[in-house]
Amino acid sequence: MQDSSFVQLFPEQASTFAWQVDALYGYLILVSLVFSVPIIFAMFYFSIKYREREKYAVPKEIHGSMVLETLWSVIPFFVSMSVFITGAIVYFNQYTPPDDAMEIYVVGKQWMWKFQHQTGQREINDLHVPVGRNVKLVMTTEDVIHSVYIPAFRTKADAVPGRYTYAWFNATKPGKYHLFCTEYCGLNHSGMIGTVYVMEPGDFDNWLSGNSGGETPVQVGKDLFENKLGCASCHAGGPQQRGAKLEGLFNTEVHLVGGGTAIADEDYIRNSILNPASQVVEGYQPIMPTFKGQVTEEQLNGLVAYIKSLSPNAAAAPAPAPAAKKPEEKAPAANKATK
Amino acid sequence: MAESTTEHHNPHVEVPNEHIGIPGYLGVFALLVVGTILTYYVALMDLDWIFAGANTLVALGIAFTKMTFVMLFFMHVRWSPKLVWMAAVGAFFWLALMFAYTMQDYLTRGTGYFGH
Amino acid sequence: METVGAIEAGSYGTAKLNYLNNGSTLRSWLLTKDHKRIAIMYLISVSVFFLMGGLYAATIRLELLTPASDLLETGTYNKVFTQHGILMVFFFLIPSIPAVLGNFLIPIMIGAKDLALPRINLLSLYIYWIGGAITLWALMQGGVDTGWTFYTPYSTTFSNTYVLAVGVGIFINGFSSILTGVNFLVTIHTMRAPGMTWFRMPLFVWAHYAVSLIFVLGTPVVAITLLLVAIERVAHVGIFDPALGGDPILFQHMFWFYSHPAVYIMVLPGMGIVSELIANFARKRIFGYEFVAFSSIGLAVFGFLVWGHHMFVSGQSMYASLVFSFLTMVVAIPSAIKMFNWTATLYQGSISFDTPMLYGLAFMGLFLIGGFTGLYLGALGLNVHLTDTYFVIGHFHYVMVGGQVIAYLGGLHYWWPKMTGKMYSEFWGRVAAMLIFVGFNLTFFPQLILGYLGMPRRYAAYPPEMQVLNIFSSAGASVLGVGLTMPVFYFIHSLIKGKPAPDNPWLLPGLEWRTSSPPPTENFDKPPVVTWEIYDFGDENGLDLEAARREAATVNA
Repeated sequence: MQDSSFVQLFPEQASTFAWQVDALYGYLILVSLVFSVPIIFAMFYFSIKYREREKYAVPKEIHGSMVLETLWSVIPFFVSMSVFITGAIVYFNQYTPPDDAMEIYVVGKQWMWKFQHQTGQREINDLHVPVGRNVKLVMTTEDVIHSVYIPAFRTKADAVPGRYTYAWFNATKPGKYHLFCTEYCGLNHSGMIGTVYVMEPGDFDNWLSGNSGGETPVQVGKDLFENKLGCASCHAGGPQQRGAKLEGLFNTEVHLVGGGTAIADEDYIRNSILNPASQVVEGYQPIMPTFKGQVTEEQLNGLVAYIKSLSPNAAAAPAPAPAAKKPEEKAPAANKATK
Repeated sequence: MAESTTEHHNPHVEVPNEHIGIPGYLGVFALLVVGTILTYYVALMDLDWIFAGANTLVALGIAFTKMTFVMLFFMHVRWSPKLVWMAAVGAFFWLALMFAYTMQDYLTRGTGYFGH
Repeated sequence: METVGAIEAGSYGTAKLNYLNNGSTLRSWLLTKDHKRIAIMYLISVSVFFLMGGLYAATIRLELLTPASDLLETGTYNKVFTQHGILMVFFFLIPSIPAVLGNFLIPIMIGAKDLALPRINLLSLYIYWIGGAITLWALMQGGVDTGWTFYTPYSTTFSNTYVLAVGVGIFINGFSSILTGVNFLVTIHTMRAPGMTWFRMPLFVWAHYAVSLIFVLGTPVVAITLLLVAIERVAHVGIFDPALGGDPILFQHMFWFYSHPAVYIMVLPGMGIVSELIANFARKRIFGYEFVAFSSIGLAVFGFLVWGHHMFVSGQSMYASLVFSFLTMVVAIPSAIKMFNWTATLYQGSISFDTPMLYGLAFMGLFLIGGFTGLYLGALGLNVHLTDTYFVIGHFHYVMVGGQVIAYLGGLHYWWPKMTGKMYSEFWGRVAAMLIFVGFNLTFFPQLILGYLGMPRRYAAYPPEMQVLNIFSSAGASVLGVGLTMPVFYFIHSLIKGKPAPDNPWLLPGLEWRTSSPPPTENFDKPPVVTWEIYDFGDENGLDLEAARREAATVNA
């Protein structure tokens, strides 16, 4: 918890993988000491023992030692490999969100953080999450690169304009924690900070009901889809539609005009709305207009959430289709989609 | 120049400083102009029937050929010692490293197992 | 301990013609082709930039004394840290050792009259001045606030400061580096004196060979990158900004393709100097000479393949991060090899603790921390927590200040008698070295702790619980500042009132000590022929050790 002491030397541990990062840190401190202490000791010992006793003495010439050179190349190599492997394992945990995670949309903007819960609550710079739940942050930004950093959770990920990035955590301790922007973003970069409130599940439910704010992302998307942007006029489904069927699309593999395939993930849907001509699906004409500049980042999140909601059974992991098959051979209508 | 001591010339070349003479240089220049015109016409054709993005590959191929001629003849690499050859090839090797390691990111993005 | 022991007492302070008194007009300096005069002009220029960068650093530490952004507004603070970075990296650290000490010493060390391309050398100085002048002009007009990394799309679309002008300045300055690199490569290949084989070259020269490779292979890429930034900023061609159809992460790939190897530009020459200092002041051949030499080349080559470790949280694919982290761990080995060999060199030596050696030993201690913190940052899972925090700031200052600046000062003290023909005050030299070492650690060690605590970099304001460590850091910075100012005074004092330096104050075998102090314009009175092995302190190196010992005995008695 912040403000807990006058001089803080070590950050709070408040997520399920925080201990792994700290253990890795401890391991590296150990490695540093095991190598540094003998070197420093040798430096001092040699400096004293072999200090100059006679001006212009001619010490015995030693050219080197193959055995020693091999030893002090090979041993550090194995040690650094152990650091690499443990580091990679922790990294994998930090960036592999569990399938059942509750998703929160994060939009960075010079200089504030906008959060939106699946249940519709919106927050600025504050983020309320329940303790013990997997929380996945689906992040993007309206302008420059920002970066979400929650030191107590030992997690950080850049929010990059034009695409989605992800981070996740599972908070273990109720409390208030710092949230920083750690990618330099201009004038008020150091003011782009916030607080993460980790609450007991009951308190969190109370908070949710006390803040039954606006529409959920899915509702926002549905409204845009059916009314405001008129997507439904082409994409509502049915055999004569010019646009692809979107039901069951999310996280499936689609075959593109000109060869190649793509996984219809969040980035793909987003890109299909903004740059429809760039990834046209086999069997459809590139007739969809771009919606670039007509939708805000939050509306985009809504559209993505709505299209995702049309595929209720899609798991987070993609279902890979047999990659070797030619696009022409495989044309089940249900898998076809265009923008 | 200091490196003149290490330079050795192709025995077939009569005049060491002119290498292929003015007609030779004009010939290379003509080749470069032809390459440029070819690039223009290829850009107007749709080569996607071969495979997607074939246009880019053809354009790059022509550009690479032109560049090789400039380096070999205009920049005299053809008559240079091995060290200069190494430097010239090394530079491209380095460029290839940059592209390869950058593409290693772009080609593995997405929602795959190692995506991010 | 007094350091006397000239082999030729007659060469003290004579009116012999040397490179300094061979022409005194402004024209004889500005149009010189003498690598030594060009080095002196570089020395003055980089010192000016170091002073300016240092003033910015002092401002940063003052602002961070308190948690709120009260001394400076955030916008001003952003400009201050950006300009600190730009001046220090591009106009001080990169040219510091190569263009000053490398320029002065490489021809002498290999027994040549000058660099292979003297006019190109002068041109590189003018290009450096032009690039520097444009950058300074931009700073006076209002400065730039993008951070020295120029990350897009902030730098191309959002920043309203003088990005373009500073970019042009750095772009131009890059050619100065390229020319210096080409010049060194050609010189080392073609200008070695008879008998100066590759494995008789001092390790300082090997390190500069490695650095020159990076100059030549890397610098063009940052020039291209800045050019693309300029094109996007001016003509709105979509390269990096996703709103125009570009990819911001492409910029990071291109930028770090140069800027990670550039980090080795900022430490390899320092390692070269430290190899010289350790060997010469322990009077021992460096342990495992070939390993130290090839580890420099190894760092230069493999340093090009690890740039992605700056981008582990940037949205790069996980696969790419794994590959880059693996290579980062591999590139730690050459540094470890150097460290072990330096330590082993001290074994059974005859170690004296003159000012340069104090810097050499300080480098070893500080680089140990700098190198190990690099390992922390290369470990993927830990990097996620540490990147873009003060841990990174602490790490690279340990490498760049604790490495390059300390080595630069060590080299400057070591070769000052040779460059100027004057001795500086040994007492004040040692005091300054101690102050710098203590001040440095006090400044930057707290930043490592702050980083793990989570203090983000480039913050003008920070949470109050982090203040105590920041006060330590600022206090250390004031000690460091005093320590770094002292050499200015005693060096200038030595120029005016210093004792004349003997040709070979420490009786060392390197070629630079076998010519007069300061050297004549053509470096040697007669072209040297090398018959001895490198770092040979014995009786076969051609120096009259007996006479020197006798003289030293009479001085001590």
